[in-house]
Amino acid sequence: MNPQDTFEYDPQILARISSLKLQAMGLVEGILTGHHRSHHKGSSVEFAEYKDYTPGDEIRHIDWKVVGKTDKYHVKQFEQTTNLKCTILFDASGSMGYVSSHDRGLSKIDYARTLVAALSFLLLKQFDAVGLTLFNDKVVSHIPPRSKPSHFQHLLHGLASVEPGGVTRIQDVIGGLVERLPGRSMLILVSDLLTREKTLEHTLRLLRSRELEVILFQVLHPDEVSLPFAGDIVFESLEDDPSVGLDPLDVREEYRGEIQRQIAHYRIICESLGINYVFLETSTPLEQGLSYFLLKRKSQLKQ
Amino acid sequence: MSLQFLSPIYLLGLLAAGIPVLIHLLTRRQQKHIRFSAVYLLSQSRQRSIRRSTPNRLLLLLLRCLAILCFSLALAHPIFSFTGPQSLLPESPSATVFILDDSFSMSAATKTGGSLFHSAAEKFGTLAKSIRKETSYAVVSGSAEARVWKGWADSGESVGKLISGSVASFQTTSMGRAIAEAVHLLDETSQPEKRIVIFTDLQKNGWTQGDLPEFSSGDSYKIQIVDFSALQAQPNRAAIESVSVDQEFLTNTRIVRVRAETRNLSKTQPLAQLAVSLWTHDKKLSEGMIDLPSQTLVARDFSFPQPGGEPVEGYVEIQEDGLMPDNRRYFTFQPDQTIKVLVVDGDPKTVEHQSESFYVERALNPFSVALSNIEPTVSTLNELPQRTIMDYSVVILCNVRELPLGFEIELERYVLHGGALLVALGDQVDPKYYNEKLGSLLPVTLETILTVPPDQDAFHFALEESGHRALNVFTGQPLLEMRDIQFHSIYDVKPREDAASSIPMRFSNGSPALVESDLGKGKILLFTSSLDRDWNNFPIQPTFLPWLQRWVKYSAHSLESLSHQDLLVSQPLKRWQEGLPGTTLFVQMPGGKIVRPPQSTDEILFRDTTHPGVYRVYQMAKEENPGAQEPVETVVPALPEGTELAGTFTVNVDTGESDPEKIPLAEIQKLLGNLDVELIPVDELDKSTAPQEGFPFTTPLLLLVSGFLFWEGFLVRRE
Repeated sequence: MNPQDTFEYDPQILARISSLKLQAMGLVEGILTGHHRSHHKGSSVEFAEYKDYTPGDEIRHIDWKVVGKTDKYHVKQFEQTTNLKCTILFDASGSMGYVSSHDRGLSKIDYARTLVAALSFLLLKQFDAVGLTLFNDKVVSHIPPRSKPSHFQHLLHGLASVEPGGVTRIQDVIGGLVERLPGRSMLILVSDLLTREKTLEHTLRLLRSRELEVILFQVLHPDEVSLPFAGDIVFESLEDDPSVGLDPLDVREEYRGEIQRQIAHYRIICESLGINYVFLETSTPLEQGLSYFLLKRKSQLKQ
Repeated sequence: MSLQFLSPIYLLGLLAAGIPVLIHLLTRRQQKHIRFSAVYLLSQSRQRSIRRSTPNRLLLLLLRCLAILCFSLALAHPIFSFTGPQSLLPESPSATVFILDDSFSMSAATKTGGSLFHSAAEKFGTLAKSIRKETSYAVVSGSAEARVWKGWADSGESVGKLISGSVASFQTTSMGRAIAEAVHLLDETSQPEKRIVIFTDLQKNGWTQGDLPEFSSGDSYKIQIVDFSALQAQPNRAAIESVSVDQEFLTNTRIVRVRAETRNLSKTQPLAQLAVSLWTHDKKLSEGMIDLPSQTLVARDFSFPQPGGEPVEGYVEIQEDGLMPDNRRYFTFQPDQTIKVLVVDGDPKTVEHQSESFYVERALNPFSVALSNIEPTVSTLNELPQRTIMDYSVVILCNVRELPLGFEIELERYVLHGGALLVALGDQVDPKYYNEKLGSLLPVTLETILTVPPDQDAFHFALEESGHRALNVFTGQPLLEMRDIQFHSIYDVKPREDAASSIPMRFSNGSPALVESDLGKGKILLFTSSLDRDWNNFPIQPTFLPWLQRWVKYSAHSLESLSHQDLLVSQPLKRWQEGLPGTTLFVQMPGGKIVRPPQSTDEILFRDTTHPGVYRVYQMAKEENPGAQEPVETVVPALPEGTELAGTFTVNVDTGESDPEKIPLAEIQKLLGNLDVELIPVDELDKSTAPQEGFPFTTPLLLLVSGFLFWEGFLVRRE
């Protein structure tokens, strides 16, 4: 499969992310690096390989022991390591596949892909290791965290291969995954959180108990917030719920109240657990969402 | 169980039930299908929403359709009954003979305005349409004629039209003959199931054992009797049984008296002030009222003058009741049929009672005024040439010595043309002249006078009861009196060899007393004694008057008048006088139709007496071609020239059919022996004729309509 066929990657977005990253680098890189450093002292660099000395290389990186033995100048190359491992949990359930019939903008899944790609890019730019796990009611695919820039391609491929389907089972997935996650790492959960599960709070609490830094992105399409439909409509579920035939006018107010209550509920939970919760509608520009997120992170780190 | 509709046209309204469906289809919003993520939230929201009830459009549609359907059905007035219509037609192939009673009791009016026969014919018509092909059927009339309307092979369509276009006859019921005919027809078929279906009013008159065929134990005819009597609007209350007409005697005015006898047919109800009217020549002459106790016969007399002496035709009528044909009875009367008689006195005397003609004149016209229908004129021999004998019906020669010269030739022509000659002998008679000159007239020759000595027993009539029309009234005492009459002298006569004669009366010694012979159209009678007291004491006997009058009337062909024939429907007209065979007759029927009866030599002249009324008989005055009469009855458009009225006769219905009493099923069963007999009242045969007997469904349907509309309104209001 050619990734370009299915992965509708907008180069403009990436360019914007890149520029945003460039802008953000100066603002947040030090904070992030410093922040990580303070947390993970002594585990900075790892030897990777030798290379012949060429003028311009730092003299202090010449391995003098090898010079003594071989009389050749070899420079020690160290693998650029980071002190942050980030796993992105990407919800690939059926509900993420919602495509609006009247909105020609980014679909929910594309929006989430772009978001994950941007985050990945941002993190990789900072030489943080980024992994990607796709799930619905189980783990669909898993890309372990790596910090190489070339890893970005793997991530893009993984994102491109996402086919929304199945039922959302966050609790089951995270419950099975949490043991394998590296301790003190970062977990980014990208989902619409449209699930009948009532135990998300418990799951998040479990993550926090593992000292994981959790960032929760809830991505919803505006249709899912405002229910703008009219007429006699049969709503067929993208997951396994039975179809419902109704006039949306009859339930719109009730629905809107319900979804807002849910959003508020997640926000409150996340605040109480120290989790960064970001609510994004697909109508919100990604830059705006990301910059808002970074600014918010920055303000949090300053505290 | 059956469901019928009084106004089925409103069932077309059922089509209106499609209107809501049409509106629903036209206004139906396009239902969209959207694949959505948060369907579980929608379900939760709907459950929590107060206005969660989506209007069930299909339920609304159903309610509206049902309301329209019920309303249409209610307008059509449905009638539901648990007892379904009884079928006369079997499922299996069969042979069925339908007997349609067309007697005049079936012409009784029904509640709907038609007649019972009309209802029966209609019922048969609808039934005939549903007869399956494998069922063969025949139709027989139930009146006295027992006519086969349709045999097995005849077309059903033509018989349907024939029956629906016909009316009840004026004949009596003869169910026995009809059943016999039906059995005869059924015996011709090989179908295993044989049935007889009778449409009748169960009039008791027609069920007689004598006409019914003999049923054996192997006969398995199934007989179904459909009783139409329940449809009769009102019972037959009274009938005129007889009308007699005579002329009042011994009065100076010619008064005709009509006596009509009317019977109350009801067993319980008397009839008060029943109007009886007399009509002659289509004009009402008189009307009266009579009170009739139940089951009694009451006579009502009408009198009216008839000075002209013309024939009277008319009828007596009572006011309408359930059955019309027996409310009217026809009569005809010939008031004065005067027979002019020329009495030729051969021995006139100056003392009146000594004249030869004295007793004859008194016997023919006893009251000296023209009140009897015989008008004698006495003439002497000298006056005879001045008389025109053709003006007289009868010429009586009393003790005539000899006739004026050449008069015997005139007399012969007179007899040849139909005149009657009565010759009485006496002492003046010259036997030689009689034997020579009157040889062509008299069938006998006069021989000698036989005289009884005074000391010996006189001659008497050797008379027995006779079938002769002139003598058949002399029975019992009059006959004994006749035998006691003493005759002292009589002529001995000897029959001529070349002349035919008969001798209706003889004397005790065997000599002929009266010799009868025909000549041409006329008749000649020879009495071998005298008509005065010279030779006998006959003229002073009581029997002399009827004896002489009857012989005069007999010879003048007026003993049996045509007008005396009062026939019943279907009774044939018989020959009423001799000498008719060669006569061409025409009969004008009550409707004006003129037929020429077929030529025949038997007693019956005319059979087509199917309708009650006055029939006129005409005969040709001058027979041009006596042998040209057709052998079959022919209808002629108008009376030919040269016909003259010979007389009239009446045809009336047989009031035996008027009896309103119905025969019960048990009696029919008894008459028909071991056959399977079923009696079906007509209203059970087809409930459509009496739909009011079911349960009307209109109100429940209207209640349903209101219920549906209320429910529909409730649902719409909730929406």
